Parts: sequence; structure tokens; C-alpha cells
Amino acid sequence: MTQRQLAMVIDLNKCIGCQTCTLACKSQWTDRNGRDFMYWNHVETKPGKGYPRDWEQAGGGWEAGGDKLKPGRLPRLAEDYGIPADFSFEATLFQEGGEPLRPTEAMQWGPNWEEDQGTGEFPNGHFFYLPRLCNHCTQPACLAACPRQAISKREEDGIVLIDQERCRGYRYCVAACPYKKIYFNPLAGRSEKCIFCYPRIEKGIPQACAYQCVGRARHVSYLDDKAGAAWRLVHEWKVALPLHPEHGTQPNVYYVPPLSTSTFDAAGKPTGTPRIPDDYLVSLFGPAVQPALETLRREIAKKEKGEASELMDMLIAYKHGDMFRLDRLGEQKP
Amino acid sequence: MERREFLKGTAYCGLALAFGGPLAPLPAFARQGQKVGAGGTAGRAWEDIYRKEFLGTRGDAQGFAFHCSNCQGNCAWRVFAKDGKVTREEQSAAYPQINPKIPDANPRGCNKGIVHSKQMHQADRLLHPLKRMGRRGDGKWQRVSWQEAMDDIAVRVVDTLQKNGLGSLMLHCGTGILSQGRRAGPLRLGSLLGAQRLYPASAVGDMFTGASLAYGIATIGHSLDAWFEAKTIILWGINAAVTRIPDAHYLSEARYNGARIWCITPEYNATAKLATDWVPVKPGTDSFLAMSLLHVLFRDNLIDETFVREQTDLPFLVRTDNGELLRHRDLRDKGKADVFYCWDEATQSAQPMPGTKGHFTKSLRLGKLKPVLSGSWKVKGRDGKEIAVTTVFAKARAEAMKFPPSMTRETTGVHPELVERMARDLAKADKAIINIGFSLHKYVSGTMTCWAAALACALTAHAGERGGLDTENNWSLGGIGPLSSPKPARFASGFFSEWENGGMETTMRRHYPDAHLKAAFGIDADGIKELGDKFRQTSNAYFGKPRVVLLFADNLLQRNKSESHYRKTFIENLDLLVNVNHRMDTTALWSDYVLPAKSQYESWDLRGELGYHRFCNITVPPKGLKPIGETKSEWDICLLLAEAIAREAKKRGIASIPDPDFLVQSGKDGNMAGPVLRDLANLPDDFSDGGNLLTDEDVVRWLMQNVPAIAPWTPEDAMKRGFVTLNREAGFNSPLHANRPFHSFENNVYLRQPYPTLSGRQQFYVDHPVYMKMGCATPTALPPLRPNTFPFAFYTPHARHGIHSQWRTNTYLLRLQRGEPHVWLNPKTARDKGIAEGDPLRVFNDVGEFFARAKLMPAVPPGSVVMDHAWEPYQFRNKLGLNNAVAGMISPLELVDGWGHLTFNPNWDGNMIAFESAVDIERVAA
Repeated sequence: MTQRQLAMVIDLNKCIGCQTCTLACKSQWTDRNGRDFMYWNHVETKPGKGYPRDWEQAGGGWEAGGDKLKPGRLPRLAEDYGIPADFSFEATLFQEGGEPLRPTEAMQWGPNWEEDQGTGEFPNGHFFYLPRLCNHCTQPACLAACPRQAISKREEDGIVLIDQERCRGYRYCVAACPYKKIYFNPLAGRSEKCIFCYPRIEKGIPQACAYQCVGRARHVSYLDDKAGAAWRLVHEWKVALPLHPEHGTQPNVYYVPPLSTSTFDAAGKPTGTPRIPDDYLVSLFGPAVQPALETLRREIAKKEKGEASELMDMLIAYKHGDMFRLDRLGEQKP
Repeated sequence: MERREFLKGTAYCGLALAFGGPLAPLPAFARQGQKVGAGGTAGRAWEDIYRKEFLGTRGDAQGFAFHCSNCQGNCAWRVFAKDGKVTREEQSAAYPQINPKIPDANPRGCNKGIVHSKQMHQADRLLHPLKRMGRRGDGKWQRVSWQEAMDDIAVRVVDTLQKNGLGSLMLHCGTGILSQGRRAGPLRLGSLLGAQRLYPASAVGDMFTGASLAYGIATIGHSLDAWFEAKTIILWGINAAVTRIPDAHYLSEARYNGARIWCITPEYNATAKLATDWVPVKPGTDSFLAMSLLHVLFRDNLIDETFVREQTDLPFLVRTDNGELLRHRDLRDKGKADVFYCWDEATQSAQPMPGTKGHFTKSLRLGKLKPVLSGSWKVKGRDGKEIAVTTVFAKARAEAMKFPPSMTRETTGVHPELVERMARDLAKADKAIINIGFSLHKYVSGTMTCWAAALACALTAHAGERGGLDTENNWSLGGIGPLSSPKPARFASGFFSEWENGGMETTMRRHYPDAHLKAAFGIDADGIKELGDKFRQTSNAYFGKPRVVLLFADNLLQRNKSESHYRKTFIENLDLLVNVNHRMDTTALWSDYVLPAKSQYESWDLRGELGYHRFCNITVPPKGLKPIGETKSEWDICLLLAEAIAREAKKRGIASIPDPDFLVQSGKDGNMAGPVLRDLANLPDDFSDGGNLLTDEDVVRWLMQNVPAIAPWTPEDAMKRGFVTLNREAGFNSPLHANRPFHSFENNVYLRQPYPTLSGRQQFYVDHPVYMKMGCATPTALPPLRPNTFPFAFYTPHARHGIHSQWRTNTYLLRLQRGEPHVWLNPKTARDKGIAEGDPLRVFNDVGEFFARAKLMPAVPPGSVVMDHAWEPYQFRNKLGLNNAVAGMISPLELVDGWGHLTFNPNWDGNMIAFESAVDIERVAA
């Protein structure tokens, strides 16, 4: 365990799938230097194959017991990540007889390929958005898999980093990450991933994806900060859960699970059953998702009756700035 | 990075794993809980790599900006630049919280704004003035100098003014620029020249005529933080999670605050996802749903009678013989046409209602009057004969009683239980808001849906702080007139001008069989033509087909219906089309000259008229920003045009051209009226106000000093933070309180000021002959208009990855989609047609065709072809966009002019109907 752990809570009921976080991250880190195809942060529509394609079937993480790594595979560039397409502007717009604007190479996949698709049968189709980034795990499989010992977890904030001077690009980490959030930089010959914006954090500025989240869906605080949203939502209220906890890596990005409107019966009458099946949410967040949803519903009901709810007030987040508590050790006021 | 190098690099094979392939076993070099890795602080010097990169994106200069295209978000951003080039943008997130009980407005922004630093350098950016060489649309361009371009344009402008008259010039600034700073240039130049310009909200089909009927104002409502306090929110045809991205958080927060959120939309979308209830209405049947909602309110008497008596025309008397409102002139010779009556309970007689246009009392206060809501009586007419009367309330109620939810269910697909519960939620909520989205008025029935929703709000007394209808609040930024309109301009109806100029009647006749139109609303194509002819002759809304068009930021070829027909009828017959733009859009492709403008971060600008929030943003370019190519600000371009036109006029010996269509004071003592003089020779001096307004910065400073709603802030205040807070004056019909969300109609509800309608009240009865003929004198339902000659409803909701066509071709956004246009099909519909995911399709009808790929969406209703709108036509095969299969259509309800508040003005103009066409689809070869 590191001394402190910075954690993020993403409220899936507030995520609107606008992709502002995806692009905030892109312009902060991945629009250059061989990272163009990477999305350290992206938002995918669930249920779906996700990004990279079929990442949930690509292995990685720990076997039960935590001694052995599960096998894993590397996603393919064009088929699973998607080539960062360029477009035929010059030919289409400034030359005679231009063809329609198209990617100069056919796109096969991308970070948001299945946008708003989901599953189910009309009118009971359903989908929701799942923003994903490196989970800065407490037990990182990537770290264990690296033969160069180039991956480390910082003492002061638990941020997991790939040492860009030690890494030789073997890519065991890519395969070992059960979330497939490590990318191989083919130009640099090294692996790279979300760095939890440590250069921003060190200056007291929250991560680009969190600070620029227009839905105000992301809370950031240290897990040991009992006044912080991470502690309170994860440990006190137990409404924020890690994604696929069965991989044993103990993620430090947590999700408030999605509520959904009722399904309709054959006559078009609401049934009272949420359209996102509980089974599916359990498959993503584990069995703790059911009590979490119950807590959310119970607290919303209080507000509907005009009663107070501390939990709801915290999720509402009256001041954007209050969603982030980044005081570093030593600087923290008692 | 070099692309080829990158792709080669992806084949790079290190020691261990190859891409793809089966699951490979991975040795663990450490077990769980064990600390390994470079760790420690000693080996951490490498971390500076990312620190340096971060500092690089922060740059060496910082400016402020917003993204002022046709988006109402209006968000303050910080713009970073290094060595004179923009590196990145990030939301300011600095808006003050107005009240601790309401979430603040930070960090406003979206996926479009955030890619503008890329967009400004994208390969579709216009860098130099271009002149068309081949035929229009051929894509053959020659680079010319600004001087050359201006001289030639001036010759042709002066030519047309001389030969074809002042109205033959259109100088139109489209919705690509709606900010008060950058828009001022084209408005001012057009006003000085007396050029035509279209009403943008109408040209793009964004008028809320249902709200105009009810309130005499098209855009009313709330600042969107008002959502947070509402207990019932009905989102009707508005996909706020996609189209109100910066404010959508107030919805999810309102839900956490205990609100019921009803989302009415045919497809399950991102907003339905955050709602508490989704109402899957069949496309185009919303007016039936609205009437069933009214049915429940009337049936169960969920009505606030005190509010209704005073604030609405529901107690007004209606003649039962001819269905007209009872007027003073019915009772007295030489009586007034704008004095109306109620039945007074106390005196048991018909009494004039105060506060109407013709009544001497300009207040809604009823005093001792006790208007009865229901009943039938007889009054003595001016000829002594008795006239039987009833009330508007009785008429509206009778109409609503025709639509029980159990009956509308078949049409709307909505189960009665939903309607019953929604009606109750509306009635019982202390504060309820019904948001009407831009989708509804894309149907002819939209006017009625919106009007009925307004009536639902009236019956349940939702107005002022209790909420009510929302059709997008706008602020009242007074004081701009001297800048933007120093002389009267030819302000033209948007929808009607496009209808006439584009000869849209042709595709309407082709697509809609007469019998079908007649059955739908009792008026056939000839009837619509007749109404159009009358509108053209009697309204002051159309100035004829222009010959020369100077277009600023208006992608009219993308947005107009029946694209290829419109292009042939209008664009190809112009003498000159000049396009001022920062990027090559489809309209620019068909222009004769393309002039490169600055874009969002490059010129000073100010935006404050949008009422989603109370902040007026300004753009201050980062210091030392280098110009991109030969781009110029719109203000500079207009000044250059003014100078060139003056030179050409002087060359021809023209000083000024009298414009007798507009009169001004003249004569020695100013007691005569003379024509406005279009003073060509003096144009540059008039434009720059004698040298006071020479740059985009001068304009922003002028605005800050002259707009009362901005006081007491100075340009220096705005430059510190990128925004200022508007004051109390910004509200139209309510004050903008410093610590409360804005709500329309406080002046009417609390101070009893009359509404700007004929009745002086919220109006729910219109006895114009067209309304009477169509059975629409009071809110009712109209069926979807799409003909059954093609099997699928075709509708195109607003896109997430564009503000209309702006940013629609952005590389970074296209990478978050599939790179080209896709049509959304229900998987079952696709299966029936033998269509699989990604298949290339032809979408067609008797108007035209377009090609796109299939995306299978369980969220989309079967029997519909749905597509996010505003792809550039050049993103489709043959460069023909989705509007190529949309027929021209215009609503008879919106062709009415000269009836009370239904007289052409910014609050009464119509829409080009966009969602009433039917199509078929087929799989085609790739």
C-alpha cells in the first residue's frame, strides 16, 4: 500500500456521454508524439463490445488468490483500437471533381464506435455511458507483469506510472491490464497510459477529464480524506463501486451505478422494472451494486418527499470546485 | 507525427507479444501486495517528461473565448497559446454561484468547443480569398488578393443596386455567428445599404409559433438553473443531454433533488437515459399526446381558476353562431375590434375585460369583475338581435374532451397511465417546467403541441417562479440599435423567403398528394399557394428574389430542404454569391468568391443575449496570436467592402441612392418626411462612425459601454475573467434577480402587466379565418403529415458532434463517430429490409435521394429512418445531403399575418417544416 491514494468517483447518472472528457484528455496528452491513436480516457456505450473492442474478453488481472496473473492478449490497432483517421479535405474541397469527405483509410473501430446503441428490443432498449481510464489500481497487474520493473506506484498519491526511461515496450503490461487501458506507443517503442494528470495534480489542478467534465460527474479526493467524496461515497455510503472487481487489481476509479426508467409491458404500460437489468450491472460492478442502487433510490425518495439527504447533496455538488480535494500531504489543514 | 511513420511503427515487434492473437500466459514478476518497480524518488527524474508537456500546453499567453456559432450554450473558455499559436483551451469554470442552494454553472463547455484549437488549423480552413474558376460547385479555385476580390465584388454590388434596385442585394449573416460583436459588422453594413436580410431563427426553422400564439413572444422561459428547483420537468422534443450539454447537469441534479423528469421523444436517447419517465411517442403525434394531457387536466378539474380568470383569455366570450370572439364592434356601431368581453358573475352581464389592446385599462387586475369560466348566455348585438355566446374555456375544454388518453393511445403509442401520471405531476408540482425543444415545430402540428403545452401550464398556474413553458429564454440586450441598425434594413421573413426563393412549392406538390393534404388539415396545395400569395402581397415580410448575395456564416445549402432543387432554383440563378467564412462549407463550395474570416479565438467578440445563464462572455485573443493565412475579422471585411463600394460608386458618379420604402425626418426644420438615403459615397465613414469603430476590439468596447444590461462592468473587468454578469435589466418580462434563477412573466403574474397579445393575456383562442377553417381556433391535434407513398417516417434530431454543420467535419469528432454519415435503423426494420450493420444505403423518395451507412439502434422506433442532422452535404456520395430527400412544406398556421399579435415581426415568423417527409431505403453496392 502506498501512503496515500488519490481516487476518482464517476457518477454514471450524471454522465451524458458528451465526450468532453475524452477530448480534454486528448488535447492535454494524446494528440502528439505517437499517442494519436490512444484514448487514455474515453467514454463507451454499455452494453457493448467497448474500446478497445472486446476488452472484457482480452484477459488480464489476477487469478483468485492473487499470486498468478491471468493470461491476456494485445488488442490490434486497426481492428480493436481503430486507426486515428485523417480526412480527404484537400481533395474534397479544393480540387476539381472531388469525392465526398472520407477517412483516408477506412475506419474499422474507434473509442465511441457503438455510441447510443446498447441492446434490448424497442421500446425496452437501453444503454448508458461508461467513462474509462487507468484505474491506478492498488494491486496493479501491469506492474507485476513488467519484466523491466518499469511500472511503479507513487507513494504520495498512488498514481501508477510507466517509467518512460526504463520501459522497453515489451507490452506485457498491455496484456496484463484487465481494463486494456495501457497503450503501446509504436513511435516511441514504449507503453503509455493515463498518468492521472500528475503534473496538474501537483499544481493543485484536477485531472483534465474530471475538471472539464461538463456533466459534473467526477469527484476526486484522497481515499484517506474522510471529508472527501471518494471516502464518503465508497466507504461511508457504499454507492461507488469499482469496475470488474473480480480481476483483483483493486481499482481506484469508482462508479456510481446507473438508475434507469421502467420497461414497458406488451401493452405499453410501465412495469416498474428498471430497463438496465440488475444482472448486467452485477456483471460489471459485482453484487454490491444492488444495495448501492437501493441506497440511491431510498435517498432520492427522501428528496422527493422534501426531506434532506446528505448523499444526494453530495452527488448534486453545489459548487464545482468542491468536487475536488487535492490538498497534498503536509499541506493539508487539520 | 508523420502518418506513414506511425503506421509503420504499429508493426513494430518488440520482444514479447504480438498484437491480436490468442490469450497469452503472463508471468508475474511480483505478487499482489509486493512493492516493485523503479519506485522511490531517486529514479523519478523522468517524470519531468510529462511535466514539461503539460507546461507546453499551458503556453506563454492566455486569452478568453466562447464559441459563438449557432449554439446557445455560451461558455467561457481560457485559450492558451505558445509562440503565437493556440495550444489548447480549457473551460474558465469561474462563474460565481448565485445562491448556495443552487449548483453553480461551472464548468460550461462541450465536445465542440474543446476541439476548436484543432479546428482552426484543420485543412478545410480558408486561408486566402478564392475566386471560382470553373462552373459553380466544380471545385476549381484561383487564389486572388483581397484588393482584387473587393474591387470585383464592389462592381457587381453597385451594378445590381443601380439596375435592380436596393432590394436586389441580400447581405445576410447566418446563424454561424450569433454573437453581438462579430455579428455587428454584417448587420451594420446591410442596414446602411438597405440590403435584405433574413430572420435567422425562422430561416433555420427555430420559431416557437405555439408560444407566439399564447404569449406574443416566441422565446420565453427560464435560465436553465431553474430546472434545479423544479419538482416536475417535462422535456418535450428536446434532447437536452445532447443539445444543452453545458446545462444538462441541472437535470441530473434536479433528479437527485427529487424532481420527476418526463422525457417525451420517439427514440430512447441520452436524455431519456437521465429521466425518471420516458414517453415513447410515435413520431409527429405529439399534438395528440398534448391534447390527452389537457383532457386529464380538464376532466379532473386540475385547474387553478383564479390564475386562469385573470391571466388568460379563457373567460373571454365567443359567439356560438360564427365562432368569433365577441368584440365591442359586435355590440356597438363603430365599436372597437380589440375590446373583448367576459360574463360577469356579479352583474350577470357581458363586461369588457381590462388589459386588452383596445381597453383603456392597461392592467390585468379584474377589480370587481368576476368572470365566469363556463356557461352559455345571450347578449344583445348592435342590430338589436341576440347573440348566443359561450367562453373560450368551454371551447378549449370541449376540444380537449375529444382526446381521452385511452383514445389517443392508438395514435401516439403512449399508454394512458403515463398521461394520467404526467398530468398529475404537472398539476401538483409547486414548480413545474415544460421545455419545448426545437424538434416539435419541425412538424406542422408543432404549433398546436406547443400551444397546448402552454395551455397546460396556464391551467395549472405555472408561470413566474412556479415555472411554466420554456421555449428558450433570451435576454433583452438593449442599446445595440445604433451599432447594428443605424438605418432601416429590409428585414425579411426567414422561412417564407427561403420558400419563395427556393421554389419549394414544387417539391411540396410532388411529395404530398392533394387529397392527403386536404384530409390532414383541410387545405390542399392550391390553398397553401393562395395563402402564400396573400402573405407575399400583404405582409411586409418578403422583398423578392435577390440577385447578389453577400453571405456571412450561413450554410444555407446544407440546411435548406430539397437540396438539389433549392440549389438549381436559387443559387444557380444568382448573379453573384460571396461567402465569408472561416471554413469551406457546402455553401462556400458553390460560391463565386470565398473570403477567409477569422474564427472563434482570433477576433474580439461579445455574447450576452442567450438566456440559459446570466453571464455575458467576451473573447480576447491571446496576446501575440499570429494571424492564420490572410484571414480577417468580419468587421475588417465589412469595412473593406464599404470602402470598395464607395470607390466604385464615386467612379460612377453616384453619391447616394434614395430609398423611398423607408421614411425619415427631412426638410430644413425636420418637419417633412423624406426617403432614407443610401449614402454609398460616404459608406466607410458611416460604417466606422467617423473612425470610432475601426476594429473588432472597438466594437466590443462600444457594446460594453452602451448596453445597459452590462453596466457597471467595463471592458477591463471582462478582460480579467472572460465574462461579466448581466444586471437586472436583462430580463424581458421579469427582472433578472441577482440570487434567483430567471423566470418569464413575473411582471405579468405579479404586477398584472398585460402580455403583448391581442387579448393582453395568455391567449388560447385565435379566430383568424385560417385557424377557424382548420379547426385550430383553440389548441387541438393535427395528424402527422407524411404521406403513405413511402413507408418510413424520416426525422433528423440535433447532433451531438456538431452545432449544426459547425464542427461536423472536425477530425477529432469524426474519430469519435464512424467517420461518415450513418442512418439509424431499428434492428427489426433493418432485418425486414435485408440490411446489416454498416451496410451502404440509399434513402429516397419522390423528392430526391441520398446515401449513407446503416447503424442499427435498438433505441430507435421501428418504421422510422432517423439520422443526426446537419452533416455537410459533401460528406455524402454525390455531395448531396440528407435534406435532398426532404420535401418543401410550410404551415398554413404560420402564413397568417395582420391578426393582432400575429403580424410579421421577430416574435411572429414561421418555420420550414423538416420532419414531415416519408422515405424508403434500400441496400446498395458500396
